[in-house]
Formats: sequence, C-alpha cells, structure tokens
Amino acid sequence: MSVQPLHSSSNASDPHGSGGSLSGYLIGLWFLVLAAILWFGSLDLETPAAPTPAFDRAALDFGPRRTMMLDPPTTNIAGFDQQCSACHNLFKSNWDGSRPLSQHTAIDLRHGLNDRCSNCHSDDNRDKLATYDGRELPFADVVTLCASCHGPIVRDWNRGTHGKTLGSWQRTSPDFQRLACTSCHDPHHPAYEPMKPLPGPHTLRMTEPSSDHGLHDEPSNNPLRRNWSIPADHNDDHSENGGDEG
Amino acid sequence: MKLPVIDQQPTSTCHSSSGGRNPYGGLSRPGMTRRSFLRRGAATTGGLAALAASLSPLRDLDSDDAPSVQKFLQKHYKEMDGADMEAALERIRNEVEHRYEVRPNIRDIKPMDGVEFVYALNLSRCIGCRRCVHACVEENNQSRDPEIQYIRVLEMPRGSMDIEDGNHHYDHETVPDESHFYMPIQCHQCANPPCVKVCPVEATWQEPDGITVVDYDWCIGCRYCEAACPYWARRFNFSKPTLPKADLNPDMSYLSNRPRQKGVMEKCHFCLHRTREGRMPACLEVCPTGARKFGNVLDPQSEVSQILRTKRVFVLKAEVGTLPRFFYYFDERDPFAQLTIESVDAKTVSAGSAP
Repeated sequence: MSVQPLHSSSNASDPHGSGGSLSGYLIGLWFLVLAAILWFGSLDLETPAAPTPAFDRAALDFGPRRTMMLDPPTTNIAGFDQQCSACHNLFKSNWDGSRPLSQHTAIDLRHGLNDRCSNCHSDDNRDKLATYDGRELPFADVVTLCASCHGPIVRDWNRGTHGKTLGSWQRTSPDFQRLACTSCHDPHHPAYEPMKPLPGPHTLRMTEPSSDHGLHDEPSNNPLRRNWSIPADHNDDHSENGGDEG
Repeated sequence: MKLPVIDQQPTSTCHSSSGGRNPYGGLSRPGMTRRSFLRRGAATTGGLAALAASLSPLRDLDSDDAPSVQKFLQKHYKEMDGADMEAALERIRNEVEHRYEVRPNIRDIKPMDGVEFVYALNLSRCIGCRRCVHACVEENNQSRDPEIQYIRVLEMPRGSMDIEDGNHHYDHETVPDESHFYMPIQCHQCANPPCVKVCPVEATWQEPDGITVVDYDWCIGCRYCEAACPYWARRFNFSKPTLPKADLNPDMSYLSNRPRQKGVMEKCHFCLHRTREGRMPACLEVCPTGARKFGNVLDPQSEVSQILRTKRVFVLKAEVGTLPRFFYYFDERDPFAQLTIESVDAKTVSAGSAP
C-alpha cells in the first residue's frame, strides 16, 4: 500500500485540493440519489406485453371433429335414440324433392349437386347406405360411398395425403387411426363452416399491431417488412412494396 | 501495513490543538474535529445506504432464481452419462414440484433408430384458425404472460408468395378470409441449420432424427441463433416465464417442454416427448382440417413420404440453403368445390340460350 502524507492533495485544508473534494461530494450525492431511486422506486422489470385474451379452451380438444354415424344408424327422437328402420319400416318414404320435408327438417343439405336422399341412402333399407348403382353399404364403410364421386380425394386419403391421422405416426402402431370422411365432414354439408380464429400473438417480439395506422394503405404488422418505417408521404420506388397489398 | 506518516508541522490553521496528542507519538489521526467526524460519519452512512440500495433488487429474487450448485456444475447434455442425467432429472423434478406442486413425469427420450422426422403442411387446407398455436402453448409449457408462441400463422394475400406481405395479427370475425391464404411457420428443423452453426457454446444441436434441440441449462442467452434463423422460429425468454400451476403439462422431457428460465432460448421441437414415443405432435392433433402431416421420411409408405412423392411441394426460402424438414404442399383444385345447383343451372341456361 502506498503511503501518502495527509497534508497532500487529499487534505481538505489544502487550497489546491478543495476542487477535487467538492466533486467527491457531488459524486457521493449522486450515488445517494441513485440509491434513493433504487430503494423507493420499484424496479419495473415487467415485459410490456398485454396478457393473452381469454378464449374457449374447448376449441383445443384433440380428436375427431365430429362423431361419425356408425352401424346401426340411430337418431334422437323425443329424447330416445331410435334406429332409422324403426320408423322407415312402417312409413315408406318416396320424397322426390318437389315438396318441403315433413321430417328431418334439421338436416341442412348443402352437398353441391347431390340433393336427393337416395343418392346416398338406400331406398330399401334405411339402416344402410347405397351407391348410385344400388350397392348397399354399411355406415361404417362410408369411404367407399364417398369414393364413388370424390375419386382424387379418396386416392389422397388412401395415401394419407388427405385427411387427419390421430394417435401415432407409425402405421404399425395400434394407436394409428386414420379418420374416415364423416369424422370431419358433415355428409349433408361437407364444406367447413367458417370459424372464429383464436387470439393472435401477444409476445414481446410479435407485439400488438403498431399504432401507426395510416402509415401504409394497409398497415403491415410484420416487423421484418422492408419499408415499415417509411412515412406515408414518402412516395418513391420503395413504397411500392406496400402499395401492391391493397 | 504502515500507517501514514503525519506531518505534525502546523502547516494549516485548520488543525486544532486537540488533534495529535496520543500515546502513539504522532501516528494518530489528527483533525478529528466535530466537523470531520460528522462528515465522515455522514459519508459512511451514505455509502452503506447506497450499498444496501444497490443490492435491493436482490429482494425480488426468490429461491427459484438463484441457480443451485448442482445446476451450476451440471455438464453439457452430450457429456452427461446415465447417472448424471438421472441426477439432473431428479433436480428438475424437485424444482418443478417445488414451484408447481406437481411431480412431473420427466425423462430423457433418445431418438429412435431409422427415423427422420418430417413435417408437411397443406396450404390448400389451412384456414388460419390458430388452434395449432394455442395447443402448442398448452402442450409445451411456454410462458403465458408474456406469451411465447412457437407457431406464427401468416395471413398472405392470394396470389403472393412474398412472406413480407404476410400479417400474423389478422383478426377477422371468421376465417378463412376469402382474399387470403394462411401459412403457419414454425421451426423448420433444417438439415443445415444456421442456428446451430452460430451458437458459441453448442447449447443447440441437431439430433439424429432431425430435430434441433436446445439444452436450456447450457444456453447463455446470447440470441445469436434467433438472429441466424431465417424463419423467425426461435423465441427468447426476455422475462421470467409465468405459467399458472394449473396449466403445467407434467408430461415432459429434458430436451423439450420442461419449464424454462429467464434468459434462455426455446423453439419448436416437433413435440419430441410425444413423437419419440410414437405419438403425433400437439399442433397436428388439434388441427381441425387435417392440413398438418407428420411422419418418418425414411419409411417410403409414410404419409409424409407419399406427400413428397405425389404432391406439389415447396420449402420456404429454399435459396438460403437450410434444407428444411418442413414442407408446404398444395392439393389440385377440387372439381366439386365450387359446384352448386345454381351455378350448374346458370351454365345450362346460358348454354341452352346461346345458339
């Protein structure tokens, strides 16, 4: 340790050392101010992101989208599950489409050109399906029925490039389960209804849409856009990247 | 240590006569006046206060924040033998049980032989409902506030393939929007991954089954990998992850969905705690349209192999040479898709009236 006479520059009485001493006081005071800020003001380390909006967790159910009709087919009438044949053995139906239905009014039939019951349902046995050439099929074999019109789709389904596979990606696994057509599509209106999307990103790097609406004709929220900081009145070649959106 | 030599000559009028008289013959500290005493006392008090205040952020730490000795001494994933791994897993079990009051089923699952995972996504079928995004968050124990999402669903204007036209903040009443298509992006598990190349500590690497993983205990949080990734697939824990106790998924593995800490990188890992046991990833199982396909590309009959052989397939940013294991594909136009009674009638009428 170096030895230093006290009467040198560190001595407050030295007239040449008074300036350094004053700055020492200022530094000390500054540390005290900082200390007060740290002590009294809580250090706000929260990430500035809004909490994710709540949504219905039921939307995240795994598994088939709907329950496909299996054999024997049943329908709920007045609180009881009834087989189709229970009524249709008694009441012969020969609906030709010329008048409104008196039964099955809940069925919303929007299957393109296919607008007759007996195109898919057997006329003779209502517990069975039937292809257009009259072959009867069990409800479990609905894929064969759909295949009679939707060839390319069923070809893809057989390969596994259309449709949904649950359980396992190993084809030999007992859990491997390739869903049949009616596990996802309602046979009476096979196209999906539009659905509500779940909430978008609320993370720090994928934040809320910026407030600079009007910056572009259609403001882009992609943080990696080339021209995201170019003001609206800036009208040169670069702004054309945003212009072709609208 | 030698005490300072004090010059006893009255060079200064400020030195009072009370200083310097002591049995040690001039080696005392002169000038201890009331003023200097108060001054030094104030400085000492202030200094101690400043020290205490500067340490005050430590008050906000709890026992979970400070790394344990065991964690500090833990080896890199690839250097751990079976006993080391079991010790690490036991430490994580205890930590999770302490924090979430659930004893997790955590294990270290190794890749399967003869398996290389590949993902395929059907852009003709994706409707942008974002169910995959949130199923992933629930499955993989991501932070909820701020939320970390591995999947980013881009809404793209029809006719454009420039992903800079994409918007992931779309908020329609219903999807799909007629004038857009939807392109989910997540980790592409590249065969030539730039994120692995840039990691300075080898905390991220490619496994034999093609999944690029992160050792969350080895990551130093430099975020080089985030900058290197051309698919914006990596997510950083800028703040301490918050996960409600009730939302913890106790089915976890070391390299996938065990709880992370502040300051580490994470990303999609194809749900390896599920897929390495033969199951499907969560994003696939929740998808309502069947747009997502997953499987072993080394099996020529697997769904993904069929897609690669029979569909029109592309990869995102092929020009950057990352060789992704994530493929996008299309269906051919469904001839029945737009066919209605009305449209056919209209055609028939116009065809009949034409001649």
